[in-house]
Amino acid sequence: MRDTIAFIEHKGGAARRVSFELATAARDIADKLGGKAHAVVVGKGAAALAEALKAYPLDAIHVAEDGDVDAYLIDPAVDYLEAVAKAAGPALVLVPNTMVGRDVGSRLAARLGAGLTADVTEISFDGGRVACVSPKLGGLTITTCAFKNSDYGVVAVRPNTFAAREGAGAGEIVAIPKPAGKQYAIKIEDEVVEAAAELGVEEASIVVSGGRGVGGPDPFVGILKDLADSLGGAVGASRAAVDAGWVSHGHQVGQTGKTVSPQLYIAVGISGAIQHKVGMRTAGTIVAVNKDGGVPIGEFADLLVVGDLFQIVPELTKRVREAKGLPA
Amino acid sequence: MKIVVTVKLVPDTNADKRIDPGTKRLVRTGVETVLNPFDEYAIEAALQIKEKLGGDTTVTIFSMAPESGKEIVRKALAMGADEAVLFSDAGLEGSDVWGTAYAMAQALKKTGFDLVICGSQSTDAGTGELPGALAEYLGVPGVTYLRKLDVEGTTLRGERETDNGYQTVSTQLPALASVTKSINEPRYPSLKGIMGAKKKTIAPLTLAELALDRAVGSDGAKTELLELAAAPARAKGRTAEAPDGATGAQIIVDFLKEKKLL
Repeated sequence: MRDTIAFIEHKGGAARRVSFELATAARDIADKLGGKAHAVVVGKGAAALAEALKAYPLDAIHVAEDGDVDAYLIDPAVDYLEAVAKAAGPALVLVPNTMVGRDVGSRLAARLGAGLTADVTEISFDGGRVACVSPKLGGLTITTCAFKNSDYGVVAVRPNTFAAREGAGAGEIVAIPKPAGKQYAIKIEDEVVEAAAELGVEEASIVVSGGRGVGGPDPFVGILKDLADSLGGAVGASRAAVDAGWVSHGHQVGQTGKTVSPQLYIAVGISGAIQHKVGMRTAGTIVAVNKDGGVPIGEFADLLVVGDLFQIVPELTKRVREAKGLPA
Repeated sequence: MKIVVTVKLVPDTNADKRIDPGTKRLVRTGVETVLNPFDEYAIEAALQIKEKLGGDTTVTIFSMAPESGKEIVRKALAMGADEAVLFSDAGLEGSDVWGTAYAMAQALKKTGFDLVICGSQSTDAGTGELPGALAEYLGVPGVTYLRKLDVEGTTLRGERETDNGYQTVSTQLPALASVTKSINEPRYPSLKGIMGAKKKTIAPLTLAELALDRAVGSDGAKTELLELAAAPARAKGRTAEAPDGATGAQIIVDFLKEKKLL
């Protein structure tokens, strides 16, 4: 492996934050491998986003402004990424560990006959050999996997793993030719946005989650949302809250939801069963608010405040806003 | 129509798992193996399609697992599937995601299918990358993260979850679909189902019956496990009583400031 290629996930030209993290990581990894750093951005809005990517330390930004990427599921994006990877030669391809990133990465790996690592939180180098560190079994174990038997490796990187950093690069914009003779099979007939565009729990550096103890749907658009907003974070939920229909599955943290590694995780009215713990145990700091001092989360939270969440949370929002100088 | 549901056997999440420091492998003794919880949604989705379509629609459970996985496959049959294929071979041991997808694809081609349904991820490795790679090696459309799945004639329609909503998608069979937990509420096996499952066929399939042109198992793998370590345990932190909201909020504010998070 020599070059490093970052797949830029975006919607209509608005990049996910992790995309800039990958663009930066591509540079650092390429320097270690002695190769070039590439980014691949495809779909509606790609051309404008490519200009914005010039602020990052990349050698080449490969672009295809092609409506097919948005009209058909996954395959067109994989085609473009595959074309760039094959032209670059032996390479490490970085995709975000998100729904789209895993879909694109898994298909690309199959096409390239490449090794595939998921939910990677660290990349290390042993000579020219690349090894990826990922938590497995719900964060119980940490595996380190190296690539072998292939010129390519595909790495799905957990958001918040690398810091995005602007910097000078050659930033040459290269148009990717449209692959000829393709018939795409999966049509996207309609796209429905149910929730306002907001930072997802996977990418947020602060997550405020609610569980059974919050008692209903209102706190998810009320006191929890207000606290998350004051901290610049996202709202998460336990399975109990999602199963009760209080908040959508996209917010769920845990075994059957998303795995998150924010700097700060605030668990409100969540007991902390193992199924929830595996989704958030790698958070930097965990603060829990619960009326019961004997809940399991007390065994692994950095701070458990025992009290009435309906009193504590609004008061906390007020004090956070004061501390940050935000209007009340 | 032939629907094949892929299922994986995983260690029970509730079990107390530990790593053997010598072999660096998971100590499996005393750890119960269960059906991957995500796969129950896939089985339920298949059964609902079968019930809707009727006729000659069948549901086959497919698992790449050791022989010892038979009893768990039988549990999947007890939910109401018609038959099962257990893809078992010493040569598959040590397969990575790539090798698993490649070998499973060849085995599924041999088994035959109109529609393959997968759970969206497993609770152990949890990469969520198998369905996509499998679709690629099967050479069929792969429609992932479905929260709704309908089949009419040869057309598959579904609602695919996104981070802030869903997409309505359609494709033609044969195809592969992966489903999320929002799609249904998996049924519990009935007593009749459990009794009936004992008589159902679990057909063995081995590598000898497939003509693979690439090495699988640990030799063919594209990744190599260098190290398996227990994650550092999180230490128990402080507990503080908050008689009222103001006290509780101030304890948290002070703590966040101490941690330089505020």
